[in-house]
Amino acid sequence: MSEDMMSGYSIAERPMVELGPLLERLLAGDFICAVSDDTAFRRLQDEATRERLDAYLRPLNRRLASNEEGSVYFLAWRHLDEGARDQLSRQLAETVGSLLPMLEWLQLVQEALGRDGPVSPGGVLKPADFSSRCEDNQGLRERLERLATDPFFGSQSEQLDAQIKQVFKRLRERGYLSQPHADRQYFVATAKIDYLIELVRFIRDEEQLPVDDQAPEAQERLL
Amino acid sequence: MSASDADILDNRLLGTGAERLALLGKHAEALMAGYVRDEVPLENLSTTALNRLLSARILWRPDEQAGVKLSPKVRELIAEMLADETRRHVNADVAETLELMRGLVQSYREARDGAEYWRQEQQLLHLRQAVDDLDGRFADAIDSLWRRLNSDFGFVSRLADKIRENDRAQKQIVRLLDGLALIDFDELIDLVGADGALRKLLVSQLQHRLSQHYTSLREVQRRLIELMARFRQQQSRSRLVAGMAAFLREHPGFVPGNYARRSEVPALVNRAAPLTAAGAVALDHAPDARVVTELLHDLPRPTAAPEPVVAAVAVERQEDSMVTARQQALREDVERFYLSVVEGDGASQSALEYLEAGELEWGEEIWLFQVLAEFQGLPRREQAAFRLRQHESRAAAFNDVRLIHDVSLQLAPARQGSA
Repeated sequence: MSEDMMSGYSIAERPMVELGPLLERLLAGDFICAVSDDTAFRRLQDEATRERLDAYLRPLNRRLASNEEGSVYFLAWRHLDEGARDQLSRQLAETVGSLLPMLEWLQLVQEALGRDGPVSPGGVLKPADFSSRCEDNQGLRERLERLATDPFFGSQSEQLDAQIKQVFKRLRERGYLSQPHADRQYFVATAKIDYLIELVRFIRDEEQLPVDDQAPEAQERLL
Repeated sequence: MSASDADILDNRLLGTGAERLALLGKHAEALMAGYVRDEVPLENLSTTALNRLLSARILWRPDEQAGVKLSPKVRELIAEMLADETRRHVNADVAETLELMRGLVQSYREARDGAEYWRQEQQLLHLRQAVDDLDGRFADAIDSLWRRLNSDFGFVSRLADKIRENDRAQKQIVRLLDGLALIDFDELIDLVGADGALRKLLVSQLQHRLSQHYTSLREVQRRLIELMARFRQQQSRSRLVAGMAAFLREHPGFVPGNYARRSEVPALVNRAAPLTAAGAVALDHAPDARVVTELLHDLPRPTAAPEPVVAAVAVERQEDSMVTARQQALREDVERFYLSVVEGDGASQSALEYLEAGELEWGEEIWLFQVLAEFQGLPRREQAAFRLRQHESRAAAFNDVRLIHDVSLQLAPARQGSA
């Protein structure tokens, strides 16, 4: 921020003014992580900064929150009134509705790119890699087609490249991917994926779903 | 043993050693084939060559029926030379070397006390070699560990294998650290006594090297544990994603509890609604007026291109007579519905009920659409004579699209003489 712009503020106000753009992003509902905004994320790791932000957010009935791993920050309601609960219910229903397409996408990426696990924060994804893998493999092609035309991704096209483009665009809009250069077709996974995985695990535990994430013990013991 | 006897022995060792090392080069391809496969192929080896390789213990034959294999040490040598991490062997046996060193020190002291300088020199050389061996063994092991770590265990492809390899590497480190712990420098200090050469070799030099190895091992251990955590996390995520996706596919109607209605809302679910910090031009702050004026001047001028009138052509529509007839019939039916309302007793009448009662053939949607269109088509004065009510609801809890289920029409009672 330039000296000129800062001159209108008292010394006490300045630290808060510096946080203005970050506050605005948080208020707009963005998830801040080391990938989506490294500088902002490092600031948020400082406890004093977090306290200042929280004090500012108090009259707006919001507070700073993070996932369990601490890899991503977002805003939560401070007090849950009826309106907030309504909004949270709607949001939860929406997230649950998007769960299957998101999980299928994570699986597809893992299989198409031959990775050991689902893409993790910082992982680089290129639409071009995808289209070449899908062109060679009819099975992947069909799964991508089904996924792209899912209402969550909402592709109307029959062209593979357009479908992939739409999928990446949606994921960027939802904050799961960040595109460092608007004119270059490569994307980096954000820590919002951590958040999603934690939510999936939470739902699994709460609803006691028969979904196991540990390697079978018997198999380990045989070795 | 005299010095000349020893020289003869040395010379014989040198000769045989060089000869046998040369065998490695001479039969390199056959030996490498034996390294890659289970057995050494014998097609290109003469009986003499095979016998030489066997007596040099480069090859061995487990039993008469079995094929010829590389001896373990040669296999290790090749693995070491190739940094082949799948087969590289980590030797953590320190106790044996320590035992050897103790014996050599004893022998060295005896030679010194007996003033046998040549034997003393020899023992010192052996001791130095033993120390170098020990040092080299740790260095090799650490090199092998780093290579495996830095390649993310790339020599195995599956995650489960990587986890097992990592586990194996961690166990090796534990054994190496245990081995290091066996070396007791107090004991070594006692052992070397006041001898400067021994002290330098076994205390200062060895201690310096081993402390470096210790640091490296701790570091590589820490990194392996980190990597293991990442592997495990990946594995668990991968299983979670696959398992949950499979579950949701099998149970399309699955709805989790509404966590937002709980008295304690889980932290993960609590995400505040987005807020936009809006701002607008304000003129109550005199110094800003200049900026606002500039902004106004900078606004792009609306480019109103004149419409090329000549290009406009009257639209010709050739309507299908069938369609026209159907539309006409629909319009007439709707008009009859309006008339029935006018003639009725002033009660509200549902459009759909009229449709059903009259056993008309129109689709409900088309019918309602035409009833609404007819109303909108009336002159304003006539519109005021009717009261039209739309029975509507939101499309879904989160979708604000209004769906009209029915329309009811009623004569407006209050106005006089308008119909």
